[in-house]
Amino acid sequence: MSLLQVLVPCSAQMAAQNASVQNSPAALLNQLVKAVLNEDEGCDVSQHFQFALRIISSNFAPSVEQDEFHVSEKIKRKLAREGRESDAAYFSELHRKLQAQGKLQNRWSILYLLLSLASNQKDEKAKPSSASIFGRGLPNLATSTPFVPRNVHQTPGISEFSSGSNVITQSSGIGSGISNISGTTPTPHSYAPGYLTTPGLTFAPNPQSVGSQLAQMLVGDTGSKTAQSKLVPSSKVQRSNVTKQGMSSSPMEENTSFEVTEEVIVRDLVYVFQGIEGKYIKYNYSEDAFRLDSQVGIPRPTRDLVHKLAELGWLFLKVKKYVEKRSQDKAFGLVGQSFTAALQQELTEYYRLLAVLEAQQQEPEDGFEVNSASALTLLQLNVWTFDPLNRMKWLAILVDGCKNKKGGALASAIHSYTFHGDGSVQKLINHILKLVAFPLRQMMDKWIYDGLLADKYHEFFVAADPSVKEEKLWHKKYTLRKSMLPSFISMDQARQILLIGKSINFLKQVCKDNSPITGKGSDDMVEKYSKYENTEIFLDKDFDGKFQKVIDKAYQDTSKKLLDVLHQRFKFLDHLKAMRRYLLLGQGDFIKHLMDLLQADLVKPAQFLYLHNLTGVLETAIRATNAQYDDSEILDRLDVRLLELSPGDTGWDVFSLDYHVDGPISTVFTPQCKILYLRVFNFLWRAKRMEYILTQVWKDQMSNARLLMKEIPELSPLLHHIHTLAAEMVHFIHQMQYYINFEVMECSYDELWKQVNKATDLDKIIAAHETFLDTILQRSLLDNESQKLLTQLRVIFDLVVQFQGMQEEFFKVSLEERERRRKDVETIEGRTEMGEWGTTQLEEEDKRRLQQEFKKNFIPSERAKLKVLAQTLQDMVQKFLVMLTSHSDDSLRLLAVRLDFNEVYKAKEPKLRSPEVYQKRKKRVL
Amino acid sequence: MEFWKQLCLEHGISPEGILEDFATDGTDRKDVFFYQADDEHYIPRAVLLDLEPRVIHSILNSPYANLYNPENIYLSKHGGGAGNNWASGYTQGDRLYEEVFDIIDREADGSDSLEAFVICHSIAGGTGSGMGSYLLEKLNDRFPKKLIQTYSVFPNQVEISDVVVQPYNSMLTLKRLTQNADCVVILDNTALNRIATERLHLRNPDFSQINQMVSTIMSGSTTTLRYPGYMNNDLVGLLASLIPTPRLHFLMTGYTPLTLGTEQNGEVDPTQVSHYHPSPHPTPHPKHSGTRDSNFCYISILNIIQGEVDPTQVHKSLQRIRERKLAQFIPWGPASIQVALSRKSPYVQTAHRVSGLMLANHTSIVSLFERTCEQYDKLRKREAFLEQFRKEPIFKDNLDELDDSRNVVQELVDEYHAATRPDYITWGTQKASKQSTKA
Repeated sequence: MSLLQVLVPCSAQMAAQNASVQNSPAALLNQLVKAVLNEDEGCDVSQHFQFALRIISSNFAPSVEQDEFHVSEKIKRKLAREGRESDAAYFSELHRKLQAQGKLQNRWSILYLLLSLASNQKDEKAKPSSASIFGRGLPNLATSTPFVPRNVHQTPGISEFSSGSNVITQSSGIGSGISNISGTTPTPHSYAPGYLTTPGLTFAPNPQSVGSQLAQMLVGDTGSKTAQSKLVPSSKVQRSNVTKQGMSSSPMEENTSFEVTEEVIVRDLVYVFQGIEGKYIKYNYSEDAFRLDSQVGIPRPTRDLVHKLAELGWLFLKVKKYVEKRSQDKAFGLVGQSFTAALQQELTEYYRLLAVLEAQQQEPEDGFEVNSASALTLLQLNVWTFDPLNRMKWLAILVDGCKNKKGGALASAIHSYTFHGDGSVQKLINHILKLVAFPLRQMMDKWIYDGLLADKYHEFFVAADPSVKEEKLWHKKYTLRKSMLPSFISMDQARQILLIGKSINFLKQVCKDNSPITGKGSDDMVEKYSKYENTEIFLDKDFDGKFQKVIDKAYQDTSKKLLDVLHQRFKFLDHLKAMRRYLLLGQGDFIKHLMDLLQADLVKPAQFLYLHNLTGVLETAIRATNAQYDDSEILDRLDVRLLELSPGDTGWDVFSLDYHVDGPISTVFTPQCKILYLRVFNFLWRAKRMEYILTQVWKDQMSNARLLMKEIPELSPLLHHIHTLAAEMVHFIHQMQYYINFEVMECSYDELWKQVNKATDLDKIIAAHETFLDTILQRSLLDNESQKLLTQLRVIFDLVVQFQGMQEEFFKVSLEERERRRKDVETIEGRTEMGEWGTTQLEEEDKRRLQQEFKKNFIPSERAKLKVLAQTLQDMVQKFLVMLTSHSDDSLRLLAVRLDFNEVYKAKEPKLRSPEVYQKRKKRVL
Repeated sequence: MEFWKQLCLEHGISPEGILEDFATDGTDRKDVFFYQADDEHYIPRAVLLDLEPRVIHSILNSPYANLYNPENIYLSKHGGGAGNNWASGYTQGDRLYEEVFDIIDREADGSDSLEAFVICHSIAGGTGSGMGSYLLEKLNDRFPKKLIQTYSVFPNQVEISDVVVQPYNSMLTLKRLTQNADCVVILDNTALNRIATERLHLRNPDFSQINQMVSTIMSGSTTTLRYPGYMNNDLVGLLASLIPTPRLHFLMTGYTPLTLGTEQNGEVDPTQVSHYHPSPHPTPHPKHSGTRDSNFCYISILNIIQGEVDPTQVHKSLQRIRERKLAQFIPWGPASIQVALSRKSPYVQTAHRVSGLMLANHTSIVSLFERTCEQYDKLRKREAFLEQFRKEPIFKDNLDELDDSRNVVQELVDEYHAATRPDYITWGTQKASKQSTKA
């Protein structure tokens, strides 16, 4: 305890001390020393001066009440031991008065000085050991001077750590103090002697060995470092090896005689516990463990026990090295820092233990009686370090397990140890995990409540790609960093968390909506917010419980807000409807009118189309139909688009409607989606055109039939043929259209609508929309499987167009014929009226010839054409039906049923009669 | 004129022609049957014609009097009516041609994209049949590219009519309907009355009730025009699929659930509707008992289903009909039940979520014509009641017009019969070859 407390402000002291040397107090002190020692001027008093300096400088350190008491007690005890009870009483009386007066500031120091002087005077032999007491009492100076370079490079911010390292330096400080005072060979290394001393060489001052000691120390230091750096990942195995070796391996020349006292070994062990080699216990590289010097006479059981205990030192070193290394690592991240902090906390606990042990070990020495009975024994040590050893072992395991990991992965690694059956281990690891998870928790809070990604070190499981632009924010910007997903968060939760933050960002950046998310601003939420600051909830074993609730709440609030904004401010549903109405031709009257207006333009080759003309037409169509009642915002987005030209295309092929989307809406209607929409539009537009053509064909038939049937009776069979053929086409196209309307549009749109209204977040809407598009594409024969079908359908469509042309021509000629006959009749009537011959021989002949020509040439040729067309149509339709019946999509097979409802084609096409057989055969081929 | 009342209700237009507040944001096309005179008033594109003042006066005394454009209500100054005489109506039509067509031309010019004329008339009396026939012919001449659809009320043929010359009137009108109309929706009084008594349990159905049924059918058959959807947004599209050849354009209708106004006829299960409705057997109207030819079949069917309906259910019922062969179709070409979904007017509260209207081109309609022919033949043989006809210019010289009409109708009957046979596809050629051999 005291060690730590004294050491903390050392660096501040250092500066003060340095300053004092330069100033007059130093000179005064020098004089004082000389005076006290009664030495001549020429005498070297530097050693004594330094000693005095130490004593004085120790005054700067804040004394601790307890210690004053401690020292005074020691003095009293000492006096009592020497049989001077009355003196002791007198001392305590004086001491009490001094205390009461409170004038003296540095009572403890004075007492300590007195005590030390007394013991110094008393026993010359005990000089070294008493020096150690000095060392203990004067740690500041001892450590400050020699260890300046070492202290400097340590980050003062991590106080725990620096205090930890100070503990280590402390021990060597003791050594330096000792050597300075006791040095039989007074070397004039006045201010910085610490380097040249070996720690723990308290018993045998060995003048010859300064160099070798130095070497030893350096070797020891670097050795342990390299040992740590080359640690094999499977340290468990290693450690078991170590223990095995420790238990069994005993070199042949091992000295098992009782040469070294237990006390010494214990002392050594306490050093080892601090990661420092003792006198006999050295670091053995080959075994990567602390080992007793095999040459030293120590009995086997003790040896084993020592080896076993020494593992603690090894483990400690390992953990410490990790902590040191990691705390330097700036890129290690917050989670890593938490981890090192947690480890540091554990180490601090460990230092406490060490301090106690050291105190225990040194306690008896205060009495200058080497009484082994009262000293710390190996067995005691064994018992006392049992728990810490276990703890340290787990820390080391964690350190191994977490090597090269950071952030969420680190947390996962730690989390994997929490399932340990041992309650205490579980507790330990849970505790560490809690600390480690804390930054994650904070990041998550920031993320799910503010949408901020405070993750400088890429530790969080949500990653953002800053290069992604706003329009793709939803789809591309944020991803799950799976490697960083802590194992205590399920994938679903992670996705949900990702979604929450994404939604917030989407709202802020894309929707430009900064209004608070409902529920969040309320007190209720704030309270919760702070309540959830602790990470416990994060690690709640009951994952469906609180943690899930927090996420759920945030998820609901955020998603609801997002959907509200989307629906209300951005009128998502209106856009969806608009898509259906315009791009999917739902607004039939508008489409029809548009076709009416565009018809003349669209039959022209595609390169003669001009966008501005078409846009004008579009405007007209909008104004003339119910589309005009639509929101102007929607209508403004409606536009004409011409697809890429390919040679031979007519306007019909390249014309397309377009619907501009931007902002948040484009997240659902992505450019890819729009391409799909355009493809569907193209298909529907074609189908619609067929319907349109056929209605015109039909209309022509109706009006022309009236005229022609009566006046050119020989045409009536042909007309009838045309009618029935047209009826067949009408049936086909209409059924196709009904199919599109029903199975493709209504059904999938219905489903989409349901899903969209049910959707709880934007992702679900996007998914529903994509499903919708997929279904439409598939059922509109636009997917890969149906490519052949589509081609076949196009062939049929082409036949329709061909038929239209043919009929036009036919009617034109027929009507001309009718007109001619009419004129003939008129001229005849006119002439008759005027009293002339109705007709001349020549004219009659001419007329007959023309009529004959009409009858003999025109009618048969038309009939032949019709026959070919009708036959082709039937063949094509039958082929189409055969293809449909073997299609994988149910609704497409049903289309076949629709198209051949009264089984006319089935009667004609043998393949259709047994579609099952056909299908089977097809499967076998496949 | 219940039709206009119904339309007004469905479009949220008040009897004065003013758009009700609740109907301002509708998705309906009011401009199909109405035009906007000024900011507020919607005026029906309607011309009311009569040769006698009774009916029109009753309209002018109804709450809807102000709905119509007064200039479009034409009442013959002569005022005597047509005396249930087709020829009289026809002649008066001729005489009033200028005035009537002034009105019609004006209306036609006022329409943005005129597609068709719809004529509602009866074929039994004098005005509806005679003047109607005349109008048909003239409309055809004047607007050869426009469609003409008629809703023709066929007289009650079971009971003895008070109009003795009814068979003549019917026959003469039928000729025009065959030759000059593009589509005739037959409203059979016999069937309507039977439905009213049998299905609606009305003991003595009066005119307004029958009219309400008619208007339901009329509004139903035009819903796809008025509530534009993916398909059937124009009359041509609607009819093209129903009428394969120009003369087979007589459509029957069926409607479920049949109710009158607010009166409820029990809740109809919507699934039931979709199944029930398209099947021919319960088709309430105008199926005739005692059809001679068992081969009668559907040439085409169009079901317009209004309201919320699950498309998959419709599909299922179609499957069922096909599997059980509930409906027989023509053997000479593809035919099937078409189902059009349409929105329902949000302004009219009905007891049913779904209602369905069937428009069917069924060859059994021929029995109606045959009966007309029978009755005509009976009269014609005796040359009964022809005096009134001979007075009019068209029959001054001879009665050829009557016989000509009889021939046209006979041809129609023949064609309908032919359409039940597989060889209909070559029907014309056979006929032509016959003709050529005769020649």
